[in-house]
Amino acid sequence: MKKKMLRRTTLREIRGSFGRFFAILAIIALGVGFFSGVRITTPAMVETVNDFWQEKQLFDYRLVSTLGWEEQDVESFRALTDVRYAEGSHTMDILCNDKDKNEFVLKSHTIPEHLNLLELTEGRMPQAADECIMDAGMPGSLHVGDTVYVADENEKDTLEALRFREFRIVGAAHSALYANFERGTTSLGNGSVSGYLYLSEDAYDLDYYTEIWIRFNHDYPIYSDEYKHMMQVHDVGWGELTQEIADERYTRVRADALEELDEAKQKLADARADGEEELADAQQELSDGKRKLDDAKKELDDAKKELDDAKKELDDANAELHKAKKELSDGKKQIADAKAELDNAKAQLDASSAQIAEGEAALVNGQAQLDAARQELEANAAALRQQENALAQQEQQVNASMAMYDMLPPEQKAQLDAAQQQIRDGRAQIEAGKAQIEAGRTELDQQQSVLDAKRTELEQGKAEFEKGSREYTDGLAKYEQSLIDYDEGWQKYRNGRTEYNDGLRKYNEGLEKYNDGKAEYDKAEQEYLDGLAKYEDGKAEFDEKIADAEEEIADAEEKIDDIDHPDTYVLDRGTNISYACFESDSEIVAQVARVFPVFFILVAALVCMTTMSRMVEEQRTQIGVLKALGYSEADIMGKFMFYSGAAAVLGCVIGYAVGIVLFPSVIWMSYELMYIPLPLHIIIDWKLAGLAIAASLLCSLGTTWLSCRIELAETAAGLMRPKAPKAGKRVLLEYVPFLWNRLKFLHKVSIRNIFRYKGRFFMMVLGIGGCTALLLTGLGLRDSVAGFADVQYGDIQIADASMLFRSSMGGVIPEKLRSKMDELTDDYILLHEASWDLVTADKTKGMDLIVPLEGSLDNYMVLRTLDGEPLAVPGSGEALVSNSIAERYGAVEGTTITLRNEDMQEIRVTVTGVFENHVYNYIILSPDTFADQLGEVPQLNGAYLNFPEGQDEYQIQAELAKDRNVTSVSLFSEVKARMAKMMSSLDYIVLLVIFCAAGLAFIVLYNLTNINITERIREIATIKVLGFFRNETSAYVLRENLALTAIGTILGLGLGVLLHRFVMAQIIVDLVSFRVRVLPMSFAVSIVLTFVFNFIVNLFMGIKLDRINMAESLKSVD
Amino acid sequence: MSAFVTFRHVKKIYKTGEMEIEALRDVSFEIEQGEFCVIVGASGAGKTTILNILGGMDTLSEGEVWLDGEEISAYKKRQLTAYRRYDVGFVFQFYNLVPNLTAKENVELAAQICRDPLDAAEVLTQVGLGERMKNFPAQLSGGEQQRVAIARALAKNPKLLLCDEPTGALDYNTGKQVLALLQDTCRKNGMTVVVITHNSALAAMADRIITVKSGMIEQMRKNDHIVDISEIEW
Repeated sequence: MKKKMLRRTTLREIRGSFGRFFAILAIIALGVGFFSGVRITTPAMVETVNDFWQEKQLFDYRLVSTLGWEEQDVESFRALTDVRYAEGSHTMDILCNDKDKNEFVLKSHTIPEHLNLLELTEGRMPQAADECIMDAGMPGSLHVGDTVYVADENEKDTLEALRFREFRIVGAAHSALYANFERGTTSLGNGSVSGYLYLSEDAYDLDYYTEIWIRFNHDYPIYSDEYKHMMQVHDVGWGELTQEIADERYTRVRADALEELDEAKQKLADARADGEEELADAQQELSDGKRKLDDAKKELDDAKKELDDAKKELDDANAELHKAKKELSDGKKQIADAKAELDNAKAQLDASSAQIAEGEAALVNGQAQLDAARQELEANAAALRQQENALAQQEQQVNASMAMYDMLPPEQKAQLDAAQQQIRDGRAQIEAGKAQIEAGRTELDQQQSVLDAKRTELEQGKAEFEKGSREYTDGLAKYEQSLIDYDEGWQKYRNGRTEYNDGLRKYNEGLEKYNDGKAEYDKAEQEYLDGLAKYEDGKAEFDEKIADAEEEIADAEEKIDDIDHPDTYVLDRGTNISYACFESDSEIVAQVARVFPVFFILVAALVCMTTMSRMVEEQRTQIGVLKALGYSEADIMGKFMFYSGAAAVLGCVIGYAVGIVLFPSVIWMSYELMYIPLPLHIIIDWKLAGLAIAASLLCSLGTTWLSCRIELAETAAGLMRPKAPKAGKRVLLEYVPFLWNRLKFLHKVSIRNIFRYKGRFFMMVLGIGGCTALLLTGLGLRDSVAGFADVQYGDIQIADASMLFRSSMGGVIPEKLRSKMDELTDDYILLHEASWDLVTADKTKGMDLIVPLEGSLDNYMVLRTLDGEPLAVPGSGEALVSNSIAERYGAVEGTTITLRNEDMQEIRVTVTGVFENHVYNYIILSPDTFADQLGEVPQLNGAYLNFPEGQDEYQIQAELAKDRNVTSVSLFSEVKARMAKMMSSLDYIVLLVIFCAAGLAFIVLYNLTNINITERIREIATIKVLGFFRNETSAYVLRENLALTAIGTILGLGLGVLLHRFVMAQIIVDLVSFRVRVLPMSFAVSIVLTFVFNFIVNLFMGIKLDRINMAESLKSVD
Repeated sequence: MSAFVTFRHVKKIYKTGEMEIEALRDVSFEIEQGEFCVIVGASGAGKTTILNILGGMDTLSEGEVWLDGEEISAYKKRQLTAYRRYDVGFVFQFYNLVPNLTAKENVELAAQICRDPLDAAEVLTQVGLGERMKNFPAQLSGGEQQRVAIARALAKNPKLLLCDEPTGALDYNTGKQVLALLQDTCRKNGMTVVVITHNSALAAMADRIITVKSGMIEQMRKNDHIVDISEIEW
């Protein structure tokens, strides 16, 4: 009660100097916020995930036996007192297709009942056995409602283990087993698992479980010491226990198998006996039938022979008949011919009789003519001789006249000549007539001879005719006789024909009978043959079946012998990738949490210190008065304590409240990209709150106490006197006149002012430096994180794309694909790519192997050390490893590492170089290593490609991916973009850091400038009175800020580089190794931002300077 | 408008929250160029307000103020600053030296922003501090500090020298010395000097005496019997 006034003055003080109060409050809030925010982030994240795993009952042990497990085994485990749940499940890798025939590998599990539960995000749980739940975090082509197809290329065991070849996706879920985005590796497909698939128990056609999941009866938080301790206790006995139960199963399985085998053997023996008897009976029946058939056959043959004989006889008879018929026909013709001849001869005879008569008549006629002709001729010859006589008279006359001729006159001469001529002509005429008569006589002689010849001829014809007439009469008699013969023959033929027809009919009847018999026989024979074939088949089948059964039994026997003693594995949560990863990932923030808060608290303490000492100084007189009035030192100090304490507590509460929400939320946002999205649990850690309060109170009260102590030590009187203003002091620089004299007057003033208050100087430099350092760290964080993708895909993996071939291609590129590749790409290199585990003493870690099969990697992947030295290609037994492997697993140059694949093949190689690489853990090997150590050359299954400049990458990608031997073509530019996007989450953190840096800069700058101004208010008023313009006044005061900002910035840059390096060292993200670097741009931005903050503060301060009332300030020292 | 300084019906009301304080009710006076003027009045009479208004440090609510033919009362803020800068020199009760600057630097601080400043060293020698130029204010006595302050005001070569209780923080003898310096300056350089004081004894040394009471001019008279400062006792 009595100190009411003191309290009142304190409250008024707060109201009156709210700027100062707020400065303390704000810096404490910022410090506490940052401290508790960063501190609480890891626990909040862990608790968030812990709650999820608690709710989903994450397993404690995963028990694996090489022999598998049965329900009975599960029961055995379940019966243990400390086991809450034990559940068997199936796990297998399945090569799957979606409806577009895209191929990927999914890991299938059994839908759990009690542990490792699912968090359904979409759809519903399966009701039918052919329904399934898909991976909610799986990117790509599958969606709820689609169907996933089990590829035919799966191994037989896999196909047999599943009841269906298609599963309908009815829901999507997050699985407790996969809290982060990693899905592990497989020996199938391209070696990476794309996602998981949950099938109901009924979907599996298996009589054993792959594994048993165990959850103990506890609710210890993940990663907690209690949990670790509990597990250590269990670890002791569980190895043996598991082995025991597995061994029991072994014994059981073996016994069961042997019993089954015996039964099978017995069955086989029975079956063999039955079968053999049946076969013997059948054989007997068949041989009886055969005998009967043979008899029948003989009878038939006899009948056939008889028939054939008869047929032959008949044929002979028929031939004879035909012959006879022909003869008869011939005879008939001869008779007819003879008749015609006879008729002809008769006609001739008749003709020749007429001729003869005619000839005789002609002959008579001819003789008569000839005689007449002869008489005529003789008459002519007599006439001629008369003429000749006449002529011979005339000639005698003429000859006579001729003797006188010469004496005759010409006219007589001529008459004589003519007469002579007439004589000569007459003579010639007589001569000619004589010749004619001679010729006529000859001709007549001739005709006479012809006629004589004809007469002879006719005589001859008469004789011949006589002969012909006789012959004709004889022929006629013969003809009559032959007619009688012919009729007789014809009668005979007819009789023969009738006889033949009878024989033929009889034969045909016999033949028909024979044919019937033959058909019957054939049928019987067919029946017999069928029977025989059946018998043979039956026999073969029987033999085969018996052989099969025997073989099966042999197999089974062998199998039973092959049942090895089971190996068992007790795998704890550490083998779950997400469990292990989350522990280390969440630790990153905890690591960072260790550095920053110290820094913030240091600055907060400094701010409190300066502010409070200034306040105490300002209130000197008041302190003196109070002291003089008789208030105790404690009371007086209490006022200041309350002031700063109130600011600290308020700041602490605000800072804590904001910090524990803001920081975990922002950081969780960036983690959510790698882990399944879970609503963050904000945890209020009272211990931490207490610590924060304690720290801030210590900070504020301690500094207040320190400030007060000095003042309070003075006497009341001393206090009431104004404190002598702090003496001016020369700075070091003034002793370098060369420089000092060149400075402008006002700059000198500023320099001197800067160094006037050492504490303030350091606080300012530290605050501003801290701000710059934070900015640089934040921006550098982004540079390093964002930059790794640039370096990885710009400088290291310089190929344009990578391609994977289907394993079914068999390691040989078909000509078609090869020519397509030649056509579409500039060049390419063929590789073997595989996931192998690096085996170290305490763990195994998946690595990506790259084995260039031909040519040099130079055009596709630049192998160089972190210092940029090029590395030689490894030889047999040598390996190049990426720097992340070297750093995290100690695989430095010269060490020997062991690599193991899914089939437990191992190779050992010596590291000959460590190359810079930021994405994935790559190991480069030579194919010779495989050849030498495993005896086989690795199969070609991948390639790196370079595309021609300026071509559409996507088009080439699509073109190549079309080929059925190509599993995938991925563009590095796309991978880069994806990586960059994933890492862009860090922008939130960077923003947060920038925000805090700005806060820090503002508070420090504002507070210090504020103090500076209030402290120097008279000085400022003075220069204002002296006529300094507004900007000159500002410059006079704020130039110092600028200079301090510059110094702070320089210091901050150095500090920032160190801080950045430290923070980067704490951030370890699996598969990614960052390139620790800060880009010049970030330096520039940090500097500019710091100055911008300074500028903004100066702007505010300018206003404050403006408000200083010269008149009031100058009046007195107050 | 013959007078060098003219106050005409000047009124000044301070407002602090609800309260209104009438510091000056109706003040009118004139000062001739080259005069040594003393304004006397009790505490709270309004003499400092007059000085503030005359010195361009404060504005007035009503009335007019003229200096050398310029209406100060019509000046804007920037003009007022320029006015302070070029036309007025101030000497304060508490000297108001910049502690971080030496004597010479304090003078230079004012001189270097003027159009036609006097040499700092010369002025300091003039006020008798030729030997102490490189000392910081903390190393000087009160009188010396006030002399530095006067030197600072003079170095600007102002039209008007305003002194607010220049001896208020000084002992008797030192006060006298300072007043003598001011009087000398007025006489030798023809500087118009206005001194504000509550000490009416000082009025005897002035050319013109203005008495202020409760925000009003009680009396303004020319001093016919100017007494040298050394002869004044109080």
